[in-house]
Amino acid sequence: MGTAIVVTSGKGGVGKTTSTANIGTALALLGKSVCLLDADIGLRNLDVVLGLENRIIYDIIDVISKDCKLEQALIRDKRFEHLTLLPAAQTKDKSILSPETVKELVGALKELHDFVIIDCPAGIELGFQMAVSGADRAIVVTTPETPAVRDADRVIGLLEKEGIRNPHLVVNRIRPQMVKRGEMLDIDEIVQVLAIDLLGIVPDDETIIKNANKGEPTVMKPDSKASLAYRNIARRILGESVPLLSFEEAPGFWGKMKKVFGAK
Amino acid sequence: MLDSERLATDSKPNILLKGTKEGLLLLLNEVVSFESLLEDLSTLIHGEKKSLFEGPDLKISVDYGERVFAASEIREILDCLAKRENLILREWGPSTAAKLSLFNSSRKFGPQTLLKGTVRAGQRPVFEGDVVVIGDVNPGAEIVASGDIYVLGRLRGIAHAGFLGDWSAIIAAAEFAPMQLRIADIVSRAPERDGKPLRTFMEFAYLKEDSMAVDKLDSLHAWTAMARQSS
Ligand SMILES: Nc1ncnc2c1ncn2[C@@H]1O[C@H](COP(=O)(O)OP(=O)(O)OP(=O)(O)O)[C@@H](O)[C@H]1O
Ligand SMILES: [Mg+2]
Repeated sequence: MGTAIVVTSGKGGVGKTTSTANIGTALALLGKSVCLLDADIGLRNLDVVLGLENRIIYDIIDVISKDCKLEQALIRDKRFEHLTLLPAAQTKDKSILSPETVKELVGALKELHDFVIIDCPAGIELGFQMAVSGADRAIVVTTPETPAVRDADRVIGLLEKEGIRNPHLVVNRIRPQMVKRGEMLDIDEIVQVLAIDLLGIVPDDETIIKNANKGEPTVMKPDSKASLAYRNIARRILGESVPLLSFEEAPGFWGKMKKVFGAK
Repeated sequence: MLDSERLATDSKPNILLKGTKEGLLLLLNEVVSFESLLEDLSTLIHGEKKSLFEGPDLKISVDYGERVFAASEIREILDCLAKRENLILREWGPSTAAKLSLFNSSRKFGPQTLLKGTVRAGQRPVFEGDVVVIGDVNPGAEIVASGDIYVLGRLRGIAHAGFLGDWSAIIAAAEFAPMQLRIADIVSRAPERDGKPLRTFMEFAYLKEDSMAVDKLDSLHAWTAMARQSS
């Protein structure tokens, strides 16, 4: 029986899909069997980021309405045999989806994989409720901006209501130079407000955008900073204690980070 | 003194509203004409401030002091109160137990609640009596109590103490950087620095002649002794 982790944020465009694709692929790299579930119904793009768009035949709605078997809808990744994607529907009537039916589906996916990573839509409406309904754990993604942190805080409150007690935080798109100049919220401040455990920090990195366009998760390229950040996040999910990434550009940054973590 | 404003404009109301352990207490003016008294009562209960009277069952006591009523006047007042179905009239008289309890120096407004954890953006917990938060009240969150609010963490959201009209309620916090403060029907915004609420430590806010004041927590004891004995 695997673990289902929902990747959520409240605010749109902060990097949920990017994080889902990269964390999932990194876990696969570490030998785990992983299913990526695109719960952003109507706006699917996890398949595009993974470069699997042209392989889609069935989707989540087909599975739930029993038009196909679960195994038929799971798309095997090009690179890893034990990495699969269950795509979102783009056009079909989604009234068949409900928190209960999605929960059941996630349960079935957990039987088949070590991890089910759920890409949640932006917002806190029904789509959010469905995406979190089957999750055992949650990763909250934010960027170092006040509105994103505010939404993350809301979402953490809602997750607590759904019984997901200890969500983990990923701060995405950090620009060390801006933090150093005091133009960006620093990690300290964000962690202090949100009061949850920090799982990792991902730098703003243009290779992420380049790779998304190519349909190749950034973690496949070991040379970029963002890639290393996502690999470390995956290792921390598996329980390893990996020190936080230090960015050469910001000498003072590393010291601060250690303070947040209580690392030695 | 903070920059504060009142929700209602009348400065000398014909009806004074107090929160007590047993619910709300209305103190009726003893001398104004019955017409203006009734009008004020109606405005109070059904007008701008009606939210104070909404929600689940609310016990009220009405104290009219030395005032003398005609039988028909009493009926009109009771009819006006009866229009709000959740109001339960506990006491009606010239010197109600509710009023006498105000003079009791050891003020205690019913239950006291310990809230452990962070009050997060979008949340709005409401408490009867006093509440002690062991944690932070985050920006975008609002915490409401009919009594006092004590935050043993960072107060960065909105706090509304004495929301049923208790002017003697206070708001205290270990780290004091609220977005907005309300006590009874007085609203105040904390002074800002660089677009953020000014951050201070170990302070409390209270009402002082219709506006809000903030003081160091170590003077709370002296303030309590003075303000609450004379209320
Ligand atoms: N660390 C990063 N560095 C640079 N660009 C990034 C980074 N993370 C995400 N992006 C870019 O930001 C955009 C939004 O990312 P993404 O689609 O992952 O966000 P999302 O939270 O899933 O959005 P939505 O709410 O619309 O689903 C994409 O173009 C992505 O390539
Ligand atoms: Mg997305």
